[in-house]
Amino acid sequence: MATTASFIIVSRNDIPIYEAEVGSATKREDAAQLHQFVLHAALDIVQDLAWTTSAMFLKNIDRFNDLVVSVYVTAGHTRLMLLHDSRNDDGIKSFFQEVHELYIKVNFLQLGCSVHVLVFHLSIVEKN
Amino acid sequence: MDPASTPLGKMLLEEITPVVMVLRTDSVEEACVKNGLSFVEMLSPFCNFSNIDVPLRTSSDQPYRLRKFKLRLVYESDVHQPNVEVAKERLKQVITKAGEKENSELSSDPPQVSNLLDSSKSELLPSWFEYLNKELIRAASFSEHETFDHPVACLLVVSSMDEQPINRFVDLFNTNKLPSLLNDGAMDPKILKHYLLVHDNHDGSSEKALKILSEMKSTFGTNECHLLCINSSQDATMEHQDDPWASYKNDASPVQHLGCCLDVDDTSAVSATRRGFRNQIKNLWWRKGKDDPNEMPSGSMYTFSSIESQIRVLGDHAFMLHDYELALANYSLISTDYKLDKAWKRYAGVQEMMALAYFLLDQSRKEAEYCMENAFNTYLKLGSSGQQNATRCGLWWIEMLKTRDQYKEAASVYFRICSEELLHSAVMLEQASYCYLFSKPPMLYKYGFHLVLSGDRYRKTDQVKHAIRTYRSALSVYKETTWSYIRDHVHFHIGQWYALLGLHDLAVKHMLQVLACSHQSKATQELFLRDFVQIFQEAGKTFEVPGLQLPVIDISSLKVVFEDQRTYASYPAASVKESLWRSLEEDLIPSLPGARTNWLDVQTKLMPKRLRESNVCVAGEAIKVVVEFTNPLQVPISISNVSLICELSQSEEDKSDTNASTSELENDEDHQRVVMSDSASVILSEIDYSLGGGEKKLVELTVTPKMEGTLKLVGVRWKFSGCVVGFYTFESILLVKKIARGKRKAKQSPLNDLKFVVVKPVPKLEGHIHAFPEKAHAGHLQPLILELKNQSDCSIKNLKMKISHPRFLSIGNKEVPHVDFPACLEKRPDNKQSGTHANLKKPSEGVFLFPEDVAIKGDKPLLWPLWLHAAVPESVPLYIIIYYEMEDTSSVMKYRTLRLHYNLQVLPSLDVSFKISPCPSRLQEFLVRMDVVNKSSAQSFQVSQLSSVGDNWGISRLQTIDGIIPSQSLAVGQAFSFFFMLKSRRQSLVDAAGHVPDLFPDIGSDVRLCPESLKEPLVNITHSPLSDFHDSERSQHGIRNQEDDNTVDFILISRPLKSDRNSEEASDQPQLFSHHACYCRQYSLLPSSNADNLSEQKTASTSPISWTMNGPRTKYHNFSSSFCEISLRMTIHNSSDVIASISINTADSAGQSDALPSPRGWQPVVADTKVASPKVSVAVAGNSAELPSSEPVASPVSPFIWSGSSCSNVQLEPSSSTDVPMQICVFSPGTYDLSSYVLNWNLRKDGGGNQLEAKEKKPEEMRKLWGSCSGYPYFLTVLQSV
Repeated sequence: MATTASFIIVSRNDIPIYEAEVGSATKREDAAQLHQFVLHAALDIVQDLAWTTSAMFLKNIDRFNDLVVSVYVTAGHTRLMLLHDSRNDDGIKSFFQEVHELYIKVNFLQLGCSVHVLVFHLSIVEKN
Repeated sequence: MDPASTPLGKMLLEEITPVVMVLRTDSVEEACVKNGLSFVEMLSPFCNFSNIDVPLRTSSDQPYRLRKFKLRLVYESDVHQPNVEVAKERLKQVITKAGEKENSELSSDPPQVSNLLDSSKSELLPSWFEYLNKELIRAASFSEHETFDHPVACLLVVSSMDEQPINRFVDLFNTNKLPSLLNDGAMDPKILKHYLLVHDNHDGSSEKALKILSEMKSTFGTNECHLLCINSSQDATMEHQDDPWASYKNDASPVQHLGCCLDVDDTSAVSATRRGFRNQIKNLWWRKGKDDPNEMPSGSMYTFSSIESQIRVLGDHAFMLHDYELALANYSLISTDYKLDKAWKRYAGVQEMMALAYFLLDQSRKEAEYCMENAFNTYLKLGSSGQQNATRCGLWWIEMLKTRDQYKEAASVYFRICSEELLHSAVMLEQASYCYLFSKPPMLYKYGFHLVLSGDRYRKTDQVKHAIRTYRSALSVYKETTWSYIRDHVHFHIGQWYALLGLHDLAVKHMLQVLACSHQSKATQELFLRDFVQIFQEAGKTFEVPGLQLPVIDISSLKVVFEDQRTYASYPAASVKESLWRSLEEDLIPSLPGARTNWLDVQTKLMPKRLRESNVCVAGEAIKVVVEFTNPLQVPISISNVSLICELSQSEEDKSDTNASTSELENDEDHQRVVMSDSASVILSEIDYSLGGGEKKLVELTVTPKMEGTLKLVGVRWKFSGCVVGFYTFESILLVKKIARGKRKAKQSPLNDLKFVVVKPVPKLEGHIHAFPEKAHAGHLQPLILELKNQSDCSIKNLKMKISHPRFLSIGNKEVPHVDFPACLEKRPDNKQSGTHANLKKPSEGVFLFPEDVAIKGDKPLLWPLWLHAAVPESVPLYIIIYYEMEDTSSVMKYRTLRLHYNLQVLPSLDVSFKISPCPSRLQEFLVRMDVVNKSSAQSFQVSQLSSVGDNWGISRLQTIDGIIPSQSLAVGQAFSFFFMLKSRRQSLVDAAGHVPDLFPDIGSDVRLCPESLKEPLVNITHSPLSDFHDSERSQHGIRNQEDDNTVDFILISRPLKSDRNSEEASDQPQLFSHHACYCRQYSLLPSSNADNLSEQKTASTSPISWTMNGPRTKYHNFSSSFCEISLRMTIHNSSDVIASISINTADSAGQSDALPSPRGWQPVVADTKVASPKVSVAVAGNSAELPSSEPVASPVSPFIWSGSSCSNVQLEPSSSTDVPMQICVFSPGTYDLSSYVLNWNLRKDGGGNQLEAKEKKPEEMRKLWGSCSGYPYFLTVLQSV
């Protein structure tokens, strides 16, 4: 889907509950922290935008250099955030929808059980 | 809102103002420097007209008034575009200077987010931003593409001291020093000139000056010439009420007031003339129109004389005179021209001015922004040449957006201004961050992010202080963040930078935050760790850090081991469940108080209540604390000087309060003297160790109180990487006193165990077993030595010992030394030691009492032999408790126990099973088949001896030694069967009839299974410890009637094959294995599932009646003449001690199929329930299996019939035999099984008393009073004789 991407799920109180570095590009040493910074800062934009639209998928809401942030805001205001570098809106949108479905399922099964998290992780990696 | 009163408006009114170029002689400067001011500085205050009212007209004759005006005075040498490098350098200076000012704030804590939002903008925004931005804007001035910086007039200044002032005036303007703008044709060299003569009053009267002035007026014209007298103050001490230079230069010295007035007059004149000039230009332009192109020189594209330049100049002048409409009109006029000509810089400049004009007109915001963006982008497109203009343009744009509260957009513009120049972008990013903070609603995350970006750039340009400032501000956003990488980044870098500045305390504080960064990569962890250690080394001192997270302490793993009455030989022993020990201790220790009145009650009363209710430990004895340290990192860390933090408080009443009440206990605190970790009162152990990546380690720490009092474990401290002292306090949960159940308190939560009452020293026994093996093969027999030591001088008495698994570990005999193992087990001809173990005090209920003369004191240890026998292959925890009492009755504790714990893993070795079947031809003789399988994984064994236990049985080989195992050893996985003859010795003694000839006169209870040549002596199995272990095996096997003569126990002795021994165990000690099989009976009922060497088997039937059938096995008969009659004789033996009546019921075999029994007579045969009808009792159950399995064999044999009586009854005296004649008739040749008879027997008790007794016996034994047995197979072959 994208050469560099960082996927993160942020709970409604801005705590990251799931993080995954996805994508094929070789990562720089400080990539993880940069990605976190960019995504963290993008939360402000999400906050602004989320209440102005009924759409769940907010594409390309923020960018830092060539990194673009797309967000999917669930009804419970959990935010699925993807940092990516190439535009593939349809792909990202469908990715978000699938993850959202998974997220709901896993939530039912209590996130925290390692097996489910693992399954979750695998499916997310697979989708990329 | 009036656009002119906004910050941008003010800025524009200040910056876009007419420039007056100043040309002066050196003597003019000299005169001014007396006041500490340059000429321009001196005049500057008078170039600001904030309160004038000048009427003006626009081009369309609309009148308006100018209220504020400003002139910029610039030396001719400064009228050029500043060098980029110089500008940068200047910028850097400004920033560095600003950074140094803020030194004091650096070390303070970052403000709270809520405070941030509440405080006003001016408080937050560093004041130097404004100054810096101005500098940035000025860096783009005097560009040739825009004219508002071009001088509109020229001020020629000559001092009255100069020689030939008139000539000097002329020289000044003609020199080549004139700025390039004038020389290269970018602006009109025919500039308005004004002549000023400066006269210093200190240099004489003004007469000379006046003379020169009149000369000047005649030369240059009256309006253009003025005289300025300065330094008229005589004593140079005059104070100015209102120092106009204050804002320009702080050290302004007094200047004559008169001069100032003159100056004002002068500048007013200048402005007036300039106005005229503008009108001239305007007129010039209108007059000239478009039809005067011949004035355009061939130089640059747009010279001052080109139409576009003229329009631009007009526009700028209109702008400067606040006629924005006109300016805008002119700008838009040329904008398209420039665009068409692709003169991008000029186009951008015009667009920029248009945007500003729109802004000041407060007209269409959209237009303003559009123009601004257009200008900005165009400048950016120009690359480096447009960079400074882009910056200026961006700053104006930002101001414009800020004015409209569009902070978010402003921030993004700041972000766009960022160039490759790091310092520049650092400042811009920082300003951007503030924009995010000020936006509504505040965007704190963006604020933090941009601060971090900015700080990063500051650091790269060595502006460490600025970097810290930004990160510190960012911390207020990121302080509590759960975004791990962000938190680590910020703390790590700010820590590093503090260290650069030498603020090591702060550096450490931040570095500590990132140490436990388990989510980071290994490289990062190494980096963090290395830097952390480096900072500490630089600091050059050790720090005490509460809450150091390396290593992580798992408080739930905290375990406190202390010894009151209970003492432990090792830590594993202490970690065994208390209940387990207690159940073992039950027989050993005096019973619980209150249960009975005995001497022990006295003791409980003597023991103070507080001692009973709290943890007790003994002075001089260590309390062990075990706590788990975890290294969360992937890199190894080293920990040193790990020790406990303790408080030992001494209570004065300690000795008197033998009847301490609870209230006293509570008051204790007040009377205590607290001794903190004093080496005089406690000894603390220190441990150094290192933890590998992700490693967990249980660390054992000890504290040894040296005196009585109350000891409290406060926490644990350690030194990390040799520099940082970390400590961890065990949260002191108030000791909840529960109702003590019993004298000893059960272990509650570990936190309750942190307070101890330290009592006087009492003797303590220490013990261990020498070289206890962790692993052993099943059957392994080994002597061990238990060593007991009493370090104190007080003696102890009444030693008792109990072992949890006597099957595995038995207590040896002190009199038999172990040195000659295994010789001590050998059987010697003269060995009469069978009584030896009888001398030993047999442990009653498993409790072994040491002889009373045993005393353990001082250095002399007590060595006591033990025997280990690995009975069954499994993991066995062995528990040993040694109980002892104090000789000194005055001590607080009357007794103590020593608890030892060992784990033994028993590996499988030989699996032995026995199958016993009666000898078909002999009474009281049995065939024994021993199946041995080597189930070990590596060891080969050599079987050496089989013994039957007890005197009742004799055993002998059926094969020669060499025939048994050719290789003489059993390799791994190998199975082998041995055959023996087992003979009841008792029977052979009793049986006087001589029917059973003693074929084995030398029959004994031991059989050698290895060749004599090996010279391995036979082992005496009747000797301790083998007999002891055998007893344990028997008792292990359930409660049996030990007097049951019909079972036999076997012991198989084996040795490991010698060749194998070197490979695995290098011990030279000979090893011996004994395998015990108990209660073997005739025919296995149950498959030997439970144990390898303990199968439940039977030798003889439980029936007291046994018999044999005697008669021919083969007979020739001519069936053509008659049927065949065959006589048989049945010998019946009654082995019981009462008279038995026996009836033999024969049944003809009509209903049965005569089967040739399979030759597998040895095999256990599944009981055929069809034959063994349920009415038959237990005896049948034992014998039913004798029946041949009813495999249908198609043999066309005719049946036979029993002739003679179908039932015969006999009475048998106790222990006697009788013969009963039997006969069968056979009608055709064939092989017949003559087992179709049943023996019913009934034991007759002599009297009713016996009967009654019998009834009282267990049901199993009741049944033995009567029973019936099916016949044995007896095969008879009858052949047709010729």
